Amino acid sequence: MSNQVVAKTTIPTGGWSDLWKKEDWWAVWLGLGIVFAAIVAWIFGSSIKSIAISVPAWTHFSEAIVYLQSKIGNFLLLYIAFLLVFSLALKILGYKLKEFIPGFSVIFILGTAVSIFGAWNWAKKYNLEAPLVALFLGIIISNVLPVPKWLDTALRTEFYVKTGIVLLGATLPFTLILQAGPVAFSAASVVAVTTFLTIYWTATRVFKLDKRFAATLGAGGSICGVSASIAIGGSVKAEKQQVSVAISIVILWAVVMVFLLPAIIKAWGIPAGPGGAWIGTSEFADAAGMAAASSLNEQAIKIFTLMKVVGRDMFVGLWCFIMALISITKWERIDGSTKPDKKEIWYRFPKFVLGFFLASAVITILVAFADTSTAKAITAKIINPIKELRTWAFIFTFLSIGLTTRLKELTSVGWKPFAAFTTGVAVNVILGYIVSVVVLGQYWVTIK
Amino acid sequence: MRADNEMCIQRVRIVFTFFAKNPRQVKGNPFLTDNSQLNLWPASLRGFSQRLTKRLERIAAAMELLLTAHSDWVITGKNDRIIMETETWDFTEILNILEQQGFRAEEFAITVEYTRKWGVL
Repeated sequence: MSNQVVAKTTIPTGGWSDLWKKEDWWAVWLGLGIVFAAIVAWIFGSSIKSIAISVPAWTHFSEAIVYLQSKIGNFLLLYIAFLLVFSLALKILGYKLKEFIPGFSVIFILGTAVSIFGAWNWAKKYNLEAPLVALFLGIIISNVLPVPKWLDTALRTEFYVKTGIVLLGATLPFTLILQAGPVAFSAASVVAVTTFLTIYWTATRVFKLDKRFAATLGAGGSICGVSASIAIGGSVKAEKQQVSVAISIVILWAVVMVFLLPAIIKAWGIPAGPGGAWIGTSEFADAAGMAAASSLNEQAIKIFTLMKVVGRDMFVGLWCFIMALISITKWERIDGSTKPDKKEIWYRFPKFVLGFFLASAVITILVAFADTSTAKAITAKIINPIKELRTWAFIFTFLSIGLTTRLKELTSVGWKPFAAFTTGVAVNVILGYIVSVVVLGQYWVTIK
Repeated sequence: MRADNEMCIQRVRIVFTFFAKNPRQVKGNPFLTDNSQLNLWPASLRGFSQRLTKRLERIAAAMELLLTAHSDWVITGKNDRIIMETETWDFTEILNILEQQGFRAEEFAITVEYTRKWGVL
């Protein structure tokens, strides 16, 4: 028997339908779909290179114009390709395409402008990399101009970054994940547990905040940002307003860190490897961390991903289970509370991580069975184009972060939770530096 | 924080199981305790029927209460449970109203899940 009565706005969830009703799974389908499309095109002697656009460096504006004119057809193809795959997903997820299509068109045009600007030698000279410019441009627009409501549908920060991370998997050898993953997990766990306990202790002992609120704040500052706050918030039954406050503080600090960490890394001359690892332990959100790492280089992106995705994100389900258990057995009982189910570990597991692993494994196997010349062809016709598409997905992410960061809304959170979280930030950044740069710096330099 | 400045959507799921998962949780009626108590005698079968009727009546009463207080629900019926879900009513208010009307903690299970309100980080 499975009988359903539906009323008004709430729609049912759970079961197999999650495979097409959850954004997380769609990031897997789209990311892997692109990877398989690239492989199929290569098998049939073709390539997806025509839509994988990378704007070359330029000095005079006329060079950029000439390039744009010569590649206008490719830009159009890229726009159509992204529009089709994202529209398919969002339509099934229940969003209105009449809002998404114009919204995504704006994001794509802004993304193109940012990519061209980021390739300008003058901008490079002043460290105005495309990710930071995209983020900054988005923040300026959303906080100065009235952003139309229909644009919100296209601002799918999480969706773009998760799709980008699945694509990133295809550019990362699986052997590297197996080799560096345990190191990343150990380092990230030391920093995450210490940060969590610091925020929790400060919030409950110093500021006398509710334990559930403290756990929600602690999770946001230590595990994986907003995703962790909402997951732990649900597990421990924190109030809606408490979760909203935690999200606001996480976003506020994540945006600060996007600019602060790369600036310090560059100012102190920290190599990209340890720099990426530091961002991986001390940035609070995947999308924001990716923006920070992207402003360094490819090595920083890879090591950031290992640290954040493999070292921290993967274990959010386990954290939820533990916190729910503590909440039920140690803290005051809420009516209707039931013992947490071990299934929660899988339920909360970020599914895009599976796509990341699978994409990496598929390409690694493909390369492993190829001779030298075929391996070179795979790199040129599959891996490099995927890398360019991944960069575009991240540009959409960074613009979306900026366009959804409404500073006025984020700053009205109350000083106690902010102070408790900030204490954790201080510990996190210092400990992250010690672990990633001082202790493991030499190791991360060798990981390329 | 301003009340209208919400950054997340709260989904509440209330599960009414027909049979108790853990009989030790049960303090007498109205919860059905253990099928093995039937012992295959007609009398115990009638006892089973009465307990099941009481339990289903109790679930129906809880549903009526919640449906009267709030209209936006998705109700799913499974073999052994009724699931009520909403994204538009706070779980603390739901707990209060159930408690005020005499529903005990062991009569239902409530889970809370949050999602981002719009595409933030």
